Amino acid sequence: MSSSVRHKVMKHLEIVKQLQPSLHYETHAPAPDQIDNEHYRAYTRMSHDVGGEPDVPITWEEKEEEVWEHNTFVTCEVLAWRGVWNAEERRRRQNVDVGQTQYLGLPYYGRWLLTAARILVDKQYITVTELSDKIDEVRKRYE
Amino acid sequence: MAEKHKPAPMVEEVSEFEVLEIAVRELAIEKGLFTAEDHQRWTEYMHTLGPLPAARLVAKAWLDPEFKKLAVEDGVKASLEVGIDWVNSMPTHFGTPSDYCNLRVLEDTPKLKHVVVCTLCSCYPRPILGQSPEWYRTPNYRRRLVRWPRQVLAEFGLQLPDDVEVRVEDSNQKSRFIVLPVRPEGTEGWSEDQLAEIVTRDCLIGVATPKPGKTANDPRPVRPAVNPYHH
Repeated sequence: MSSSVRHKVMKHLEIVKQLQPSLHYETHAPAPDQIDNEHYRAYTRMSHDVGGEPDVPITWEEKEEEVWEHNTFVTCEVLAWRGVWNAEERRRRQNVDVGQTQYLGLPYYGRWLLTAARILVDKQYITVTELSDKIDEVRKRYE
Repeated sequence: MAEKHKPAPMVEEVSEFEVLEIAVRELAIEKGLFTAEDHQRWTEYMHTLGPLPAARLVAKAWLDPEFKKLAVEDGVKASLEVGIDWVNSMPTHFGTPSDYCNLRVLEDTPKLKHVVVCTLCSCYPRPILGQSPEWYRTPNYRRRLVRWPRQVLAEFGLQLPDDVEVRVEDSNQKSRFIVLPVRPEGTEGWSEDQLAEIVTRDCLIGVATPKPGKTANDPRPVRPAVNPYHH
């Protein structure tokens, strides 16, 4: 990476990291002249585009898989196999539409799972009521 | 007092993830979006996957210069020789529904080390390498590998001299990668089976290099599951 590109990336990340807690700035629905191009780029950045963000070393772990994680993976793949969604919309929904808080805050397959539930509702295969009734029914099996 | 004699609950408190997973799967089946058999067939297909075909591809490439040439030029075609069909794979017969059928084989040299990441999500060559490890999916690995590759590789126990160039390959939706490492010294005269044994998953991702006698990934802490899936 050239030093000028590096400088641009660093500046971009510097702005990005200030966006979430910037409530003290008068930036709510600003006039067009109050947003420069660098801020436009920062606001329209996808939160899953994490390459190059600063972070500290962690312990690299392997992980046992939960039953629900395995089943979630399979459900998502089979939904695609049977044409309910394609790779592009899966990615957009799982990585972008969830928003940064859920993207970083939920387990990996937690995002997949919420997204699988949402696709069924959004494409009107099920209603929200059917979903919540089913959730209640499943929960009762464990009581 | 009666409270004391209440039987212990059959299960611990069920997690919202477990409840939602069952709900979504059952609703999809009830609505005819897929069948329980589809789900079962996919699970069985998952059981057939692992790093062995990719390890065998590397071993073949070490033994046969012509096959190595093919592997580097056309990873998909080379995969057929280790039993992996990217284009017509089971169980869909139209390849993976995640929509990728382009495998690139990245050839290391003594002065060039490749390592694979997916900065945007967790793209991984599942048909030939199985499920990705948890660390590969972490934002941490994805953030840092592209910017501090030498440091990250050192954390995996791979110290590279300064005169070895590191090339980080960022996966994407359509293209997947495996690393073809340098055949290590001390493996002269080895059979394909012997060679394949030292090509671990970590070697194929690029965070380790093969060594005679080393047939497993470096030991790491394993985070246990609350309700583990038994493969």
